[in-house]
Amino acid sequence: MSTLKDGRMAPHESPAAGRRSVGVDVPKSDGEKLVRGRPVFTDDVLPSGCLFAKVLRSPHAHARIVALDASRALADPEVVAVLWHPDVPQIPHTRAGQSHPEPSPWDTTILPTKARFVGDRVAVVAAETLAAAERALELIDVEYEVLPAIHDPAAALDADAPMIHEVPDPRGIAKGGESNLAAMIDVQIGDVDTALAACDHVIERTYVLPRVQASHIEPHVSVSWIDEDDRLVVRTSTQVPFHLRRILARILETSESRIRVIKPRVGGGFGDKQEMVCEDLVAVLTLRTGRPVRLEFTREEELIAARFRHPQTITMTTGVMNDGTLVANRMVVLADTGAYGSHALTVQANTGQKVLPLYPLKHIHYHVDSVYTNNPISGAFRGYGAPQGFFALESQMDEVAAVIGMDPLELRRKNHIRLGDVDPVSARLNEGKEGLARTVNSSSLEECIRRGAEAIGWGATPAPTHPRFKRGLGVGVAMQGSGIAGVDWAAATVKLNEDGSVNLLVGATDIGQGSDTVLSQICAEELGVPYEKIIILSSDTDLTPFDVGAYASSTTYVSGGAVAKAAADLKNQLLTIMAEHWQVNLEDVRFVDGVCMGPRDLSLDMGGVAHTALYTAKVQPAATASHMSDDSPPPFSAQFADVEVDTETGQVFVRRFVSACDFGTVIHPKLAEGQVDGAVAQGLGYALCEEVLVDDEGRVRNPNFLDYKIFTAMDMPLMEVIMLETEEPSGPYGVKAAGEVVINGPAPAVVNAIAAATGVRIRHIPATPERVWRAMHEC
Amino acid sequence: MAFCDFKLHKPESVTEACRLGREFGRTCAYMSGGTELLVDLRSGRKKVAHVIALGGLKELREIRRDGDTLHIGAQATLSEIAEAPLVHEVFPALAEAIVTMAGVQIRNLATMGGNFSCGVPCSDTPPITCAAGGSIVVAGPDGEREVAARDFVLAPRTTVLNPGDIVTAIRIPVQPTTSGASFQRFTMRRGSALAVASVSAWLNVEQGVITAARVVMGAVGPIPLFAENCAASVVGQAPGDSVFADAGALAAAEAQPISDLRGSEQYRRDVVAVLARRALACAAARAEGRTS
Ligand SMILES: Cc1cc2nc3c(=O)[nH]c(=O)nc-3n(C[C@H](O)[C@H](O)[C@H](O)COP(=O)(O)OP(=O)(O)OC[C@H]3O[C@@H](n4cnc5c(N)ncnc54)[C@H](O)[C@@H]3O)c2cc1C
Repeated sequence: MSTLKDGRMAPHESPAAGRRSVGVDVPKSDGEKLVRGRPVFTDDVLPSGCLFAKVLRSPHAHARIVALDASRALADPEVVAVLWHPDVPQIPHTRAGQSHPEPSPWDTTILPTKARFVGDRVAVVAAETLAAAERALELIDVEYEVLPAIHDPAAALDADAPMIHEVPDPRGIAKGGESNLAAMIDVQIGDVDTALAACDHVIERTYVLPRVQASHIEPHVSVSWIDEDDRLVVRTSTQVPFHLRRILARILETSESRIRVIKPRVGGGFGDKQEMVCEDLVAVLTLRTGRPVRLEFTREEELIAARFRHPQTITMTTGVMNDGTLVANRMVVLADTGAYGSHALTVQANTGQKVLPLYPLKHIHYHVDSVYTNNPISGAFRGYGAPQGFFALESQMDEVAAVIGMDPLELRRKNHIRLGDVDPVSARLNEGKEGLARTVNSSSLEECIRRGAEAIGWGATPAPTHPRFKRGLGVGVAMQGSGIAGVDWAAATVKLNEDGSVNLLVGATDIGQGSDTVLSQICAEELGVPYEKIIILSSDTDLTPFDVGAYASSTTYVSGGAVAKAAADLKNQLLTIMAEHWQVNLEDVRFVDGVCMGPRDLSLDMGGVAHTALYTAKVQPAATASHMSDDSPPPFSAQFADVEVDTETGQVFVRRFVSACDFGTVIHPKLAEGQVDGAVAQGLGYALCEEVLVDDEGRVRNPNFLDYKIFTAMDMPLMEVIMLETEEPSGPYGVKAAGEVVINGPAPAVVNAIAAATGVRIRHIPATPERVWRAMHEC
Repeated sequence: MAFCDFKLHKPESVTEACRLGREFGRTCAYMSGGTELLVDLRSGRKKVAHVIALGGLKELREIRRDGDTLHIGAQATLSEIAEAPLVHEVFPALAEAIVTMAGVQIRNLATMGGNFSCGVPCSDTPPITCAAGGSIVVAGPDGEREVAARDFVLAPRTTVLNPGDIVTAIRIPVQPTTSGASFQRFTMRRGSALAVASVSAWLNVEQGVITAARVVMGAVGPIPLFAENCAASVVGQAPGDSVFADAGALAAAEAQPISDLRGSEQYRRDVVAVLARRALACAAARAEGRTS
């Protein structure tokens, strides 16, 4: 039936000539210890005498916490502490883990005086056992003053809407915190109204995007203790150890020197751990009790009180000429940031910034209202606003193509951004502010579209496998960035040992995606030593240099740049040492495949060089380098879905899925392909079955994996990944990024395929069987 | 975790299991695979001080033929049942139903005894067992009795079991060669999902005419529901698309679905119509030997 190979990846050009590590599927640096089940995760080893924490959560969506009596709970000798808002500093901050100064509003305190969603923190308990902590929750008496609540974001800005945040110092909240508007963006490029008036066709549609969760396997978990020097140590499953240290220092009224944050292995994050979710609570309990404390979320807590992709309603208007020339685009976004404003501005900035440049029009109007509601808290999630925006844009492109009678692929080919084009949006919109202009200096997007279309068989839809099915093909094209231009930066330290091995210390956070492996490859390549010689450590604020953390598709591009620089510096130090040692000119010394060569037949392997440095020259060859980029080169993808729709039930089956990708140079083909597999699985769940349902009172109705339906292995289609590498001039070894771009295409590709199959356009995802079936019966 | 605050008992005989169950009454629960029980204990839906594990009763694990009945021990796992050649020979529709359930890991633990005993409306093996005219063997403190599968579940999460009663076996009559059965289920995704609706159909077809029919619906009523009008409408008819389509509409009218997370009432009825039509057509084809 299908011509797709099960061998998965399209032939990958073997590593560029002369490369030993970059471009090679080396063993994952932490693979063995993970497979052997060694105690590597936060919760695997607890300090002796560790207390167990549990959070008492609000049953009300909006209620003042008037009084709390914990005496019944504390009567249990196993219950050690119960804290509520009077017991902790009330310093406004954001829990979003972003660079200083954080662009998210400071609307949060450790324990609030007012609960703002069902599940908000009311109190936190520490007890000798988990069972005692759980029992204690039922014995705490709380007096609430219940307030009217808002769950519909469209009603949040009504004049009579109850105020969710009355903050005395509303730093970062839009318009000084006078309404429930958490963040607002309005960017106009050209003149959209005039341009639309002159277009042959104007198409306006509204798209509705659900609240979904990252569903990382390892939940949020943190352990803290006081060390022998009276410093606070927090070992935690996080993407942002350095931001955490900074935020903790401020809200605990201490300084960074008193805090050490350790990130061990992490079982997935996807943005949900770019946030302080448990760390401040274990910290205040440890400081109060002097004892180690551990807090781990249950899956129910993840689906109630972790973070979610912002639900958005997007109204998009496109002006187009009869020949398919796109002229103007207006995108109006209403986003539900939930009870707090974590990433309220920047996710929504990204929706416009990442999405609108794909078709670089002269006339663009981008408007966002990001509003507070008494719903669960939205935040960072892989793609960071772009999946919502690309769903609207790439759905609309098919609707535009239908109106003008053009092949949807042709319309995209005619208008998409090309090599050398200037992205019209970046300079106007970066992290919600003015940014740096961006030119496309590497792109195989045209080739991605061509090769992807070929692989799926565009124009030759396969026959349905049963008469009751209708079959269709759909496409979703996307781009993203590689780090946040001018903001994200990283440092790396390298240090040579006697046997020629190299310690590589990075603040970059491996959260399972494999950055330790990729950074080790870059280091090995730069030094010309075998990959096995690199001993990587990530991340520990006492031991490793600074890094903003794992987010914004930044690690390979930004942190990789720091590693390459540090390794190059180390190499230069070694050349100097050897030139002196051999008493020869520096220009005559070089490294060939990790061996130091001098004039005549002088040569020494890396171990010998290290010995010379350490025992003859008596210096420690070591280097630290920092790296920041003013650019954020876009990776591209063209993704294609082949779906069948059961006309009797509305059920959608994805049969095949092709992703053609430009990630720049691919450092580790298998890991890059893994990024595609994972993103497609999450993207298909977004398209077809994932939705956190919140009832009229603000309670999550499906806080478990039976009722919150992620895509399972059994639901996955036949996959093909086509890597079309480019050489990005600003990236180490020509890299861009792979982590996020490919989560953007699946949802629009699937709904476009459903439309091709059935003529029915789904503008509200997930496209559950019932939704598709209703839509089919309405038309 | 706190929900594990119970005493675990491991009886070595059915008699002992029944005695313990009667002794502890409502403060205990039997456990087979635990795939339903542990979920209920953790969520707090059930609270018990004693758990009586039946896994040690190896004699309840047997799958065998007793004359004209297929005997499935209550402790046989769903995986063992689905793979047993005897099941494929006597009543393949049961294996067909089981492989749609949950996922491999759950099926490697879960039992039919547990699937019946929990009395959950969306349990998948009761409707197909009812369609086959099967029965349940119950051992209690006062001896053994056999209950027709259709009489076993009384209301959601309520069965005929009294304290101290355990299910020891499921019995399915060997089917006439002129009969055929089919299980059709609809879920929101393929891996690990509970039924939005299911329909089990059983038909006997002689000389091109349907002489007997049973249609049982799952997940669209408080208990497995017999679609009597639907079944009656096909008896005396020759198998055919329009007969089955009409019958499907009757089943939809007989269903008693509720609206919940898995679907609205109306959608579930429409799905029942589709599933009933498919189940009848497939059962007829099997009865006539047109397909396996
Ligand atoms: C992820 C997941 C997916 C699932 N998918 C499905 C599905 O698709 N279809 C479906 O029908 N079910 C499904 N289930 C529910 C469950 O797995 C089944 O009902 C299973 O058959 C229960 O069998 P068990 O042996 O695990 O029962 P247990 O959990 O051991 O027991 C269930 C109940 O029956 C009682 N009990 C158990 N054995 C006996 C006995 N011999 N005598 C008397 N009482 C007894 C117990 O006290 C308990 O109340 C799913 C469960 C999970 C966790």
